[in-house]
Amino acid sequence: MNNFLQLPIFGIGITILFYLLCGKLGKLRLFFLNPVLLTVVGIILFLKIFNVRFENYNAGGKYLTYFLGPAVVALGAFFYEKYEELRRDLKLFSISVIIGGSCGIVSVVLFLLLLEMPLFLIKSLASKSVTTPIAIEITKTIGGIPDITAGIVIAVGVFGNVIGPIFLRKLGITDKRAIGAALGTAAHGIGTARALQEGKTSGVYSGIAMCLNGIITAFSAPYILYLLL
Amino acid sequence: MSRYKFLNNIRHYIEDLVSLKRLKAFLYILVFLGIGELVRFVFKLPISGNIIGMLFLFIALKQKWINLDKIKPASDKLLEFLVLFFIPYGVGLMVYFDLIRDYWLPISIAIIASTLLTLYVTAIILQKFGK
Repeated sequence: MNNFLQLPIFGIGITILFYLLCGKLGKLRLFFLNPVLLTVVGIILFLKIFNVRFENYNAGGKYLTYFLGPAVVALGAFFYEKYEELRRDLKLFSISVIIGGSCGIVSVVLFLLLLEMPLFLIKSLASKSVTTPIAIEITKTIGGIPDITAGIVIAVGVFGNVIGPIFLRKLGITDKRAIGAALGTAAHGIGTARALQEGKTSGVYSGIAMCLNGIITAFSAPYILYLLL
Repeated sequence: MSRYKFLNNIRHYIEDLVSLKRLKAFLYILVFLGIGELVRFVFKLPISGNIIGMLFLFIALKQKWINLDKIKPASDKLLEFLVLFFIPYGVGLMVYFDLIRDYWLPISIAIIASTLLTLYVTAIILQKFGK
């Protein structure tokens, strides 16, 4: 049995299986049934219950993560496609995403510093608002632990997805574009899924905000950390 | 009979997944990834190669050096499965449970506060000046 668990097909198979199952559950559109979160939690529970070590799972899992390289490059094509739709207020949009995104990095680093968190956590959480594949790369570059980043980034996404629109409306934000941009900047792809429910405009703004904030954070996070730490 | 149909569906799906057009598009993406890694290596940048590759791809598309049709067959599929590719990292969190267990409260506070701040700052700038 242990020999079978060490084969790559186990890790790959179990990931695809849970991904498909949870995708079906996610169609119910209940906020706590976010497919990404469900898949991750489901696989962790499965491994814990059957006492499988992460190393065995990752013998297959690592083949899947190799594809993050080309997938991040593919985001460039997505960015281009969406970017064409928003020429009209590109300048103001960029400014708001740049300021909002930088605010996110600086504030999380400062809060963690004030709460006297260890350095490895600060480095792993600096990119918490960025889409997971980019956040993983940023964490690798600045010397954090990518696995912690991935877990927290997904959690941030789900939080933004559930709380974001309610929170913004309470504070008097009614503009669809503003809600979209905010969700994309703060809660990446999972926030964008929510923005799409608010309407097509919100969805587009959210998608571009996600890409733009990814790029901005990738370039600024190493320097912001260098200045603050 | 229905089993035969099922297998046929799988065959069609795989044939479509690895069609020549898609493989060519994937090769283009790998070229951009390679350029990104090379630039990172040569200039010793603190940014990962695939993010640099993404920027180059965006610039190349915008400058019309390359047509979106050439990239789209592969980029659409990669993004369709994007979630699948980072799930193993999410699962990897289980190794660090003990390490972060003592910090979960301060982490939650910092992250929630920072996320709400990011949401509000981004939205208010766009709403206030976007008339």
